[in-house]
Amino acid sequence: MEFTNDKQGDFLVVGISGRLDATTAAEFEAQCDQWVEAKQGKIVVNMEGVDYISSAGLRSILTSAKKLKAMDGEMRFCGLTGMVADVFGVSGFASMFKIFDTLEQALNG
Amino acid sequence: MKRRSLTVKLAALVLGISTLILGAVLVYNLLFSQAVIIRLAEDNSRSLGREVANHLAAQIKPIELAVKNIALALEDSALNSREITSLARRIVEGNEDVFGMTVAFEPFGISSDKLFFAPYSYRTDSGVKTTSLGGTGYRYFYMDWYQLAKELGCPVWTEPYFEESGASELMTTYSVPFYRLEDGQRRFIGVVTADISLKWLQHEVSSIKLYDTGYALITTHNGTFISHPVEELVLNQTVFSLAEGMGDQELWEIGRNMIEGKTGFLRRASVRDNKESFLLYMPLPIGGWSLAFLFPVDEVFADVRELSRNMLLIGGLGFLVLTGAVIWISRKITKPVRDLSDVALQIAQGNLDAKLPDIRTRDEVGDLAIAFGEMQSSIKEFIVDLTETTAQKERIESELRIGRDIQMGILPKIFPAFTEYAEFDIYASVEPAKEVGGDLYDFFLVDENHFCFLIGDVSGKGVPAAFFMAVTKTLLKVVAERGVSPGAILEKVNNDLAEDNESCMFVTLFVAVLDIRTGEVNYASAGHNPPVLLENSGVKYLKPLNEPLAGAMTGMTYTTSSLTLKPGDTLFLYTDGVTEAMNKADELYTDERLIVFMKGLYENDAKSMIEAVNQSVLDFSGGADQSDDITMLTLKYLGMGK
Repeated sequence: MEFTNDKQGDFLVVGISGRLDATTAAEFEAQCDQWVEAKQGKIVVNMEGVDYISSAGLRSILTSAKKLKAMDGEMRFCGLTGMVADVFGVSGFASMFKIFDTLEQALNG
Repeated sequence: MKRRSLTVKLAALVLGISTLILGAVLVYNLLFSQAVIIRLAEDNSRSLGREVANHLAAQIKPIELAVKNIALALEDSALNSREITSLARRIVEGNEDVFGMTVAFEPFGISSDKLFFAPYSYRTDSGVKTTSLGGTGYRYFYMDWYQLAKELGCPVWTEPYFEESGASELMTTYSVPFYRLEDGQRRFIGVVTADISLKWLQHEVSSIKLYDTGYALITTHNGTFISHPVEELVLNQTVFSLAEGMGDQELWEIGRNMIEGKTGFLRRASVRDNKESFLLYMPLPIGGWSLAFLFPVDEVFADVRELSRNMLLIGGLGFLVLTGAVIWISRKITKPVRDLSDVALQIAQGNLDAKLPDIRTRDEVGDLAIAFGEMQSSIKEFIVDLTETTAQKERIESELRIGRDIQMGILPKIFPAFTEYAEFDIYASVEPAKEVGGDLYDFFLVDENHFCFLIGDVSGKGVPAAFFMAVTKTLLKVVAERGVSPGAILEKVNNDLAEDNESCMFVTLFVAVLDIRTGEVNYASAGHNPPVLLENSGVKYLKPLNEPLAGAMTGMTYTTSSLTLKPGDTLFLYTDGVTEAMNKADELYTDERLIVFMKGLYENDAKSMIEAVNQSVLDFSGGADQSDDITMLTLKYLGMGK
């Protein structure tokens, strides 16, 4: 599991790669807490490199998104593929969050 | 390695080093004093030799001078025969050291009618007598003392000899040739001789005592012994004859050096008794004679050896005393350590209350004792803590186990269930993971014609998930029994769960209601894996509705979908514990594998279908740890006809 950060306009683009499971979800949550601390409310999560997401991963996203929302921020997603896209679909995350095909669309949408 | 006590190690170290030092001192002392003693012995014998030489010189120099003076006087032909005779006689009378004196002329040298002229004055017990040498029996000009002086043309000392006529003393003769000028030519006329006794010299040399058995000897210019403790060598042997007899090349070399008037000091076996000895030789002031001293090495070194022996003895005694002292001190030093070590052993064997020895020394051992005491009480405290913690942990674990049992207990487990209804066959199973999970399922009659069945999966694990699961299941049943549609059930349950859900837990749910009479199933899904529909015409996943999981956010809406089961059709509900079961290579079981496997299960009843899937998952995981609950529920519709 690796994170990359890249500030583009108002958004912080976060790239995640690897598995987002119970172990790495805690890391993701800790990272998000730092951004919340730094008043970085707008975040695009690029999920291109994620090949697996567990329910703990979903929960960490949900928790972080709630915190961002509380400070008038938001969390957008792009680059969902394979199993991750399926899970986002089945779990209804797709109807709870703004999901985009590409990073450009996410930044401009 | 063999165990050795500190005392033994310390003693061995100290005594070993002491022994080395003592040994080095002894060896150095022995070598150094031997060298000093050898030098002293050489110096002593040298000065003794010089003394003998000086004494000899004092004896013979006046005689040599007197004889030379007479020879000079005789160069003048004015002296007549009587005057010559009385001249020699007066010398003998006036010089105690001179035994006899001759003035011997060449044949017909004094007058043409006298073949012999050699008046000889000599000492007897009754005064000095004078006689004439020469006669048909004693042609003196063929004797050594005459010939040597004549041929060599210079004063000579003859080889020593025994005077047969007189007191049989060892004698030697000094001969000086004299010449006269005749017709402008220097012509040999005769020799003047003086006989001296060597008795005093022999006596003096033989009385020299070097150490206990050392001795002195004298050789002449051809190596003849004239004084030697071995009597039969005297005048009978030369150094060279002796060396050849013994095959001793070194002795032969020494002989050469001696007759050449050299001085030497060396170490060799003595001729007398073959004892290893020091040999010093030096020239004497009589033509080519040599004086030598021999003294046994043993005797020279006797004192040094005694000194060394005594030092060794004192050193040995000191060693014993030191041994005692070292053992005493090291036992005294190590006693507290040994006491501590005994107590440590007791503590190691479990007696934590063993009493520590009372050590009050202010050194490392004292520090150790204090540290040890602290360690003992720390261990005691730690063990008390550990006992308490362990008891607590066991209590918590036991409570967790009971909690888990209660959690599992709220799921319906009695099968076969609803046997009074021939219209359907229901079966469910949960294979709990090691860690407490949050899977749930339930089935119950809403009214006499409607049968509700559901499955769900709470996010996360542990006690929170278990609580959330229990709450969800209770809510579901309460809401479902009102007889509303599955979508409405989910909306209500979602709102109830999402309110005040600080922990952001959520649950995926699939709720379905079967109309027993028609086989119509109304269902709704809150983000749950789509169930499998097994029909005679094929096996497929229900189309996912992609509606949000429950508990995350309030105000979500859920669609109620509908399908109709024909008799023999089955709905297979499961949690992601099935499709995300992992093998040892971290590969997932996957939706694809599940659907392919289920294609052959249409004919199975509810229970055997679950058992078959369960076996397939087990075979796939190949003994890898199960990380999530595996929960399945099947509803097989049999129709009214049965």
